[in-house]
Formats: sequence, C-alpha cells, structure tokens
Amino acid sequence: MGPKPRLTPASLRKELFATPLDGLVTVLLVTGLAAAGSRLLHWALAQADWAVIQANSTLFAVGRYPIEQQWRLWLLVALLAAAAGLSWGVLRSRPLPDRPITALWPGNDRLATGILVLLASWAPAALGLTLSIQSRWWALTGLLVLVRWLAGRYGSRLGKTATLALPLVWPLLYLVGMVLIGGGLGLVTVGANEWGGLLLTLVEASFAILLSAPLGVLLALGRRSSLPLLRWGSIVYIEFIRGAPLITLLFLGQNILGFLLPGGMAPDRIWRAAWILTFFSAAYLAEAVRSGLAAVPRGQLEAARSLGLSLPQALAQVVLPQALRIALPATVGQFISLLQDTTLLSLIGLLDLLGTARSVMANPLFLGKSSEVYLTLAVLFWCCCAALGLGSRALERRLNPPSLGR
Amino acid sequence: MTAEPKVAKSPAMIEARGVEKWYPNGFHALRGVDLTVQRGEVVVIMGPSGSGKSTFIRTFNALEEFQKGSITVDGIALNDDLRKIDAIRREVGMVFQQFNLFPHLSVLDNLTLAPVLVRKRSKGEVLNQAMALLERVGIAEQAHKFPGQLSGGQQQRVAIARSLCMEPRILLFDEPTSSLDPEMVREVLEVMQGLAADGMTMVVVTHEVGFARQVADRVVLMADGQVVEEATPERFFDHPQHERSRQFLSQIL
Ligand SMILES: Nc1ncnc2c1ncn2[C@@H]1O[C@H](COP(=O)(O)OP(=O)(O)O)[C@@H](O)[C@H]1O
Ligand SMILES: [Mg+2]
Repeated sequence: MGPKPRLTPASLRKELFATPLDGLVTVLLVTGLAAAGSRLLHWALAQADWAVIQANSTLFAVGRYPIEQQWRLWLLVALLAAAAGLSWGVLRSRPLPDRPITALWPGNDRLATGILVLLASWAPAALGLTLSIQSRWWALTGLLVLVRWLAGRYGSRLGKTATLALPLVWPLLYLVGMVLIGGGLGLVTVGANEWGGLLLTLVEASFAILLSAPLGVLLALGRRSSLPLLRWGSIVYIEFIRGAPLITLLFLGQNILGFLLPGGMAPDRIWRAAWILTFFSAAYLAEAVRSGLAAVPRGQLEAARSLGLSLPQALAQVVLPQALRIALPATVGQFISLLQDTTLLSLIGLLDLLGTARSVMANPLFLGKSSEVYLTLAVLFWCCCAALGLGSRALERRLNPPSLGR
Repeated sequence: MTAEPKVAKSPAMIEARGVEKWYPNGFHALRGVDLTVQRGEVVVIMGPSGSGKSTFIRTFNALEEFQKGSITVDGIALNDDLRKIDAIRREVGMVFQQFNLFPHLSVLDNLTLAPVLVRKRSKGEVLNQAMALLERVGIAEQAHKFPGQLSGGQQQRVAIARSLCMEPRILLFDEPTSSLDPEMVREVLEVMQGLAADGMTMVVVTHEVGFARQVADRVVLMADGQVVEEATPERFFDHPQHERSRQFLSQIL
C-alpha cells in the first residue's frame, strides 16, 4: 500500500487516455454516465412525485410511535448527534501517522461535513416538513458540527485513558437510547410493536452490532483454543451459521424460540429477530477476527508469555489489539452488510424501513410510486453505510502504528 | 514477591538432566540433553541449523514442553504446575532472533508493560527504570518512537532492555544477531558484553565466534538433539575434541 499519486490534470490524462483504446473507453463511459445521470436527475426533479415521501415521512422515520412521546426520540437524536460529533472530532484531532492525505475523498472530512450540512439544510425543506421540525433538524446538524469542531480543537488534550474509554460512549448511549425508546425509569412504556421504520432498523442493527462484536471475538478465540470442546464447539457453530441463509434462520428463530421457551418467556418477535441477527453476524465476525489473529506473528504471543504475562493478559494487551486492527475493515464490512440485511425483517412481517415502505406502497393512494420510495430507501441506507465506512477508514489510518520508510 | 525456599542443594541457575522432547508430529528433537549453568556464567550454544538449540533453550521458560528428564531453574522444578511456570517466566528473560517487539506500543510502553502488569509495580517507578535501561543500551532518545521506526539493531537493543526491565535472573538469547545487517551486529554484541561484565547469567545461541571467545565461560556444541562437546572457548575453538565439532568449526570459521 504505497502512497497514492496525487490527482493532477497530467496524471489524469495519463491514467485515462494512455492509448487510443483507453481513450475510447473513457469517452464512452463518461458519455454513458452523464446521460444516465442527467436522466435520473431529470426524473427526480421534474417527473417524480415526492408526495408519497412527504405524506409518510413520520411513518418512515419512526413507524407508529405515539406522537406525544416522540420528544424522547428527538432527545435521543440530539444525544446521537453529540456523540457522533464527539467521536468524529476526537478522531480528527489524532495525528495521522506519517502518511499524507492523498485521496480527495473520503480523505478530506471537511467535504463530508459540507455534504452533511448541505443535505441537512435542503432535505427537510424538500420533504415539506413543518417549519418547527425543519428547524429542529437544523439545530441537530448545528449541534453535531459544533461538537465536532470543539472535540477536534480540544480533543488532543484528552489523556490516553480518556481516549481509550471514549468508544464506550456508544454502548452507554445504546442503553440510554433503549430507555428513551422503550420507556421505564418513570417514562411511559412504548411497546416494541409500535416501533417501526428507520427507528426499528437502527435499533435492530445497533443491537446486533454491539452484541455480535464481543461474541465474534470470543468465537474466534474459541476456534483457536487448545481445548478441544471449545474449539469444536466454535467451529460447528460458525460453520453451521455460515452455511445457512439468514432468511431461513430468521424464520427458524421466530418459530423455534416460540416452541422452546414456555409461553410468555420467549422474547418479543422484534427481539427474537435481533438475537438471530446477532448470532448470524457473530459467526461472520469470528471469521474476520480469526484472519486478524492469524496475521499476528506467533512470536508476539511468545514474547508476551516469556515476559510473564498470563494468557488472558497477553491476548488482551498484545495479540488482540493487533488482530482487531487488522480485522477492522472486514469487521466494518460485516456491520454494513448487517445493516442491509435488516431489510429481510420485512419478510417476517416486521415494519422496519423496507416493511414500512411496502405497507405504504400497498396503499391505493400511492399506487405506482415505488420508484420514489425505493430511491429514498437506497439513499437512506447509503448515508448510513457511508458514515460507517468513512469512520472506519479514518480510525484504521490512525491506528496504524508509525513505521520507517513510508 | 514469593520468597522461594533456598533449600536447593545445587546453587546452579539452570540444571537440565536427560531432557528429551518429541514434537507432536513425532520428531525426536532433544535426545537426552544435560546442561548446568552456574550463577553469573555465560554459556554459548552452537551447532548446525536444526540441531535443537532453539528447542532446548525454549524449554527453560516453558515455551516448549518436554517429555522426559528434568529441568530446574533457580531452584524451581519445571513441571506441569502452571503457577510455577509463571514464576519461572518472571525470572527468565528471552531475546529472540526476530526481536518480537510489540509494534502497536511505543518503545517505552514495550518496556513498562510487563513490570506493571506482572510485577504490579507503579507506572512512575517503572518509567524511571525504563529510561535508565534505554540509556544503558544507548537509545534513550528513541523512547517515544514506535518499533517500526527503528533499525534492526536498535530494535534488538530495545528487546534486551525490555527483558531487563523485568529484572530477570537469567537471560536467554536465541540467535540475537542473526537477522541483523552486519554493521548492526556489533552494537548489539556490545550491549550483551556489558551485561556479562555486570554478572548476568546468560545462555546465548549464536554463531559469533568473537563474542564466544571473549565473553563465554563455556561453549556447548549441539548436533542432532544432543550435546556433542562442552568446553572452554579456548579449548573448543583451538583444540576441538570431536569430529563433529571440527566439521562444524570448519564451516563457520
Ligand atoms: N513445531 C515443530 N514441529 C515439528 N518439528 C519441529 C518443530 N519446531 C522445530 N522442529 C524441528 O526440530 C528440529 C530442531 O529445531 P530447532 O530447535 O529450531 O533447531 P535450531 O534452533 O538448532 O536450528 C529441527 O529439525 C526442526 O525441523
Ligand atoms: Mg534456532
């Protein structure tokens, strides 16, 4: 992975028009893309009827969540924006080890901020939201950008322990979020069957992401363990899960958990699905972590053990930090597919983002508007996945220990 | 820490008797090896590649198991008792051919990790000692760099300092200069020579004849999982007793 050359007009010409054939391919591709792009733009701006999105924006966002309790979700989004700004800013404030920023995008996170601000100032208005709701989105975006700026400015003053503890904000926020969403601790209960849309999609995905991460690490360690029972147990589990399509596991989970546990004990359908997603994702994560573990030289464990570290100490301090950094891209890739896999929940009758969309499209009022709906979903998913991908790349580059000759 | 009862009859630092080892694939790597290392002694082990030198010294800190015979390190018998293995590993330092520094930690953190975690010493106190050790091996100015930013010779000196930071009673070296460029070999050997002069007990697998002549109290030649010859450096290099030794010396001299 050498440094990438900077894009200049000269290097562009060399890359794109090296031979006549290259030139022809370039010209054809560019005209093709331009034609398709302008048609899509024309359709989106002139022909498409976005009323279906405008009329159902709340449904897409939170499903049938009771209106008088929605302030709790606004509060949660504000906390999320602050946490995202904090993580982003602190990440920014960490020095990039030796490698210069070469890629224009996504290397430059000011551009990402610009796109975010642009989207946030345009989308709420375009969706025809009321002014009070529009202004809330602007305030939230402002909060995120402000915290990002503050954390970027002062983040380097954080001590090492504080920086290491920072990622814990997310599981903590998840717990707070679950109380805010579901109720308890003095808040009115809102049953899981009233959650829907993007809210449900994100609840399911974040539950599975947070729990499958430690589970996957344990499975990967189990697979390399010298204890036969542990090793074979992990192997059977991983290979069984990876051999079955997620949708069959989801159906199986809905039925089996209902059979196995006596009435009332089985978790709600929504949580059953969340657990299945977790178990599914853990098996794939285990493989990502295993390849990371395999990439750490044997000598590392031997050196740690010969210094007197116990096996758990050696794993936690020496082997896992290196293995997890190597496994990070594959891990985030798995999280991104997990987020997309949540759309399968609509097939078992849950009203996640896709399920909500399907129920909306079934409404005779909005007949024939599926292109608008699907495009909106695609953009929403793309935004979530792009954020995950950008964050992981920024993290990865800063976790690379500096070295000679780069 | 745990005060080991000093009732051991022999004052030897390492006492290996009839050690035999089979690898899981059935290969008979050690075939009854005896070795005694006295306190403060420097023993150099030589021998052709594949003769079992690494396997042998790695049994001293239980990186390799053995099936027959006995090994006593500083009066503690090496057997399957895991707590004793931990106790021995605290007292035995090891320096590897590939350095095996922790690449994700700074030089200073490489040194302080084990004393803080294993010996439960305070970070501040260990930091002072670590800086002093880096001074001693001549790389104090690199303390805040990462291993990947250092040359091979510097890395190996950090590895030695890392072992010393645990205040071991014995240091094992497994070909510490074999993967270094020639111009860096000397800086590492000088550090090792200094340690020997300070009375450190050392077992060194190396083919550096100059080092062996100058520093070693005894030279041991291994071949095919056995000790072939054991003698003072002068006797070993100038009047080898065994055909196997002469053959080996003719290849490296
Ligand atoms: N894990 C292993 N499994 C099987 N054989 C091994 C293993 N490690 C080393 N050996 C064999 O044991 C012999 C001694 O190896 P080693 O102690 O590394 O030799 P040396 O350090 O003297 O070069 C060699 O023949 C080697 O092939
Ligand atoms: Mg060897």
